[in-house]
Amino acid sequence: MPPLIVAEQLTKWYGSRLAVDRVSLEVEAGEVMGLLGPNGSGKTTILRILTGYLHPTAGTVRVAGLDVVTDSRAARARVGYVPEDVPLYEWMRVREFLAFMARLKGLARGDLSRGVAAAIERLELGNVRDLLIAKLSRGYRQRVAIAQALLGDPAVLVLDEPTNGLDPRQIIEMRAHIRALAGERTVLVTSHILGEIERVADRVAVLLAGRLLGVHRLQADGLDRRLHLRVRGPADAVRARLERVAGVRAVTIETGPGPGRYLVETETGEVADRVAAALVEGGFGLLELTPAPLDLESLFLQLTGEGREAVR
Amino acid sequence: MSHLGTLLLKEERAVFSSPIAYATVAVYLLLMGYTFTAVLFLNRTGDLVRVFFQAAVLFLLIVPVVTMRLFAEERRTGTLELLLTAPVREIDIVVAKFLAGLTLPTLMLALTASYAAVLGIYGDPDWGPIYSGFLGLFLLAAGLTAIGLLASGLAPNQIVAAVAAMGVGILLWMIDTLGYLLPDPFDRIVSHASLVSHFTPFATGAMFLSDVGFFVTLVLTGLFLSSRALARR
Repeated sequence: MPPLIVAEQLTKWYGSRLAVDRVSLEVEAGEVMGLLGPNGSGKTTILRILTGYLHPTAGTVRVAGLDVVTDSRAARARVGYVPEDVPLYEWMRVREFLAFMARLKGLARGDLSRGVAAAIERLELGNVRDLLIAKLSRGYRQRVAIAQALLGDPAVLVLDEPTNGLDPRQIIEMRAHIRALAGERTVLVTSHILGEIERVADRVAVLLAGRLLGVHRLQADGLDRRLHLRVRGPADAVRARLERVAGVRAVTIETGPGPGRYLVETETGEVADRVAAALVEGGFGLLELTPAPLDLESLFLQLTGEGREAVR
Repeated sequence: MSHLGTLLLKEERAVFSSPIAYATVAVYLLLMGYTFTAVLFLNRTGDLVRVFFQAAVLFLLIVPVVTMRLFAEERRTGTLELLLTAPVREIDIVVAKFLAGLTLPTLMLALTASYAAVLGIYGDPDWGPIYSGFLGLFLLAAGLTAIGLLASGLAPNQIVAAVAAMGVGILLWMIDTLGYLLPDPFDRIVSHASLVSHFTPFATGAMFLSDVGFFVTLVLTGLFLSSRALARR
């Protein structure tokens, strides 16, 4: 199946400031893609171009094969969008607002009332549906915004910093809503908080100063290319033995409780067997061998460090 | 319901959920009531020419206050992002906002019609200039609404939008005086751009198609430029 979202060489200038610098990105159908980067890294600008709110200075974005500039209305009909500050018409009641947005998305009569009712049920808005939006808490406002984005059953859901301003309980609920949406549709979510992306996304695209530094798969082979070892034997000999194993990129002696701790970085996720065999054949005592998934924080620091160097 | 109908309904609700609407209508009626009474008792004539000019001047000041929030408010609250990322045409958004902006001046005109009714009950007015005067005021209000809409679409906030629209409206109202200072053909060009020179025939009962065409052109230009301003993002 072709990717649902394809961005090619996407570039956006605000006057003399370059906000997005030749970003190319593909998002598969049904996956949750996280855009991670510090404030001002171009995340929101990319989302705004994808949703048709901004026009790119150069490059293209296609949603379900539709160009967001030349086929803008058709592309917009396939995207549900929750902007960062959750803008809503405060003088409308929740159900009235959802009905208004449903009409804009082309729903009418039976489809409209069914769509609004389904969105209210899904986001658990039943007890506030007749309240003025101005009276709602931030958590409920966020849910109303997601409910409107789901109207019309769009293939892509775009969420800009969806947990901003929420309390811890609301953040947990919001994560559950986002995870529940995964699989049914493609979700593109931004955050400047590493933990948020780690908890909800399948893949993460790291941005800095408008540039895409890399795209990484979370909770899969991409991040478990490191091994923690505890080995009995002379440190230099163990290290030398490990470095000779095919596929091992680097060996670091770790400090920690007790001697004989090593961190082995490998080229693929399938070197563990060879490492274990080499140590046993060399007569060393292999006490522990565990995968050490690269946490997103390390990845982010590593990539943004490299990015800063490149930007300089 | 079409997108235009949906958007128009929402814009009308937005207009009437704001206290600005009620304040402007109240101030307009108070000032117009004073003008009508004073003119009637001083002149004792069954026409509304002075009332029409008074209403036109009030429109120059009031219409920008009504139109200032149309785009600027949505930009401030961020809801413009919701509208522009929904699968609707920009021109539908612009036309809905224009029609909603024109609603209050139209309501004011409808209430002003009570003065004509008073004249009809207690006198025998010449109805031709009264009808044409109301048509002229409506066209003037539409032109000023289009200018206000454009200002709201371009200005960074509501106050700047109101001041800019007022400035352009008042300048166009009195620009014909500048024509006396300019050589031919600039004097004619400037005079043709004058709101007062196109409004005066309506107020005095002499309707010309060219004056209707002027206001229609003003409205269409305002809507076109507003649409372009919205597309420039």
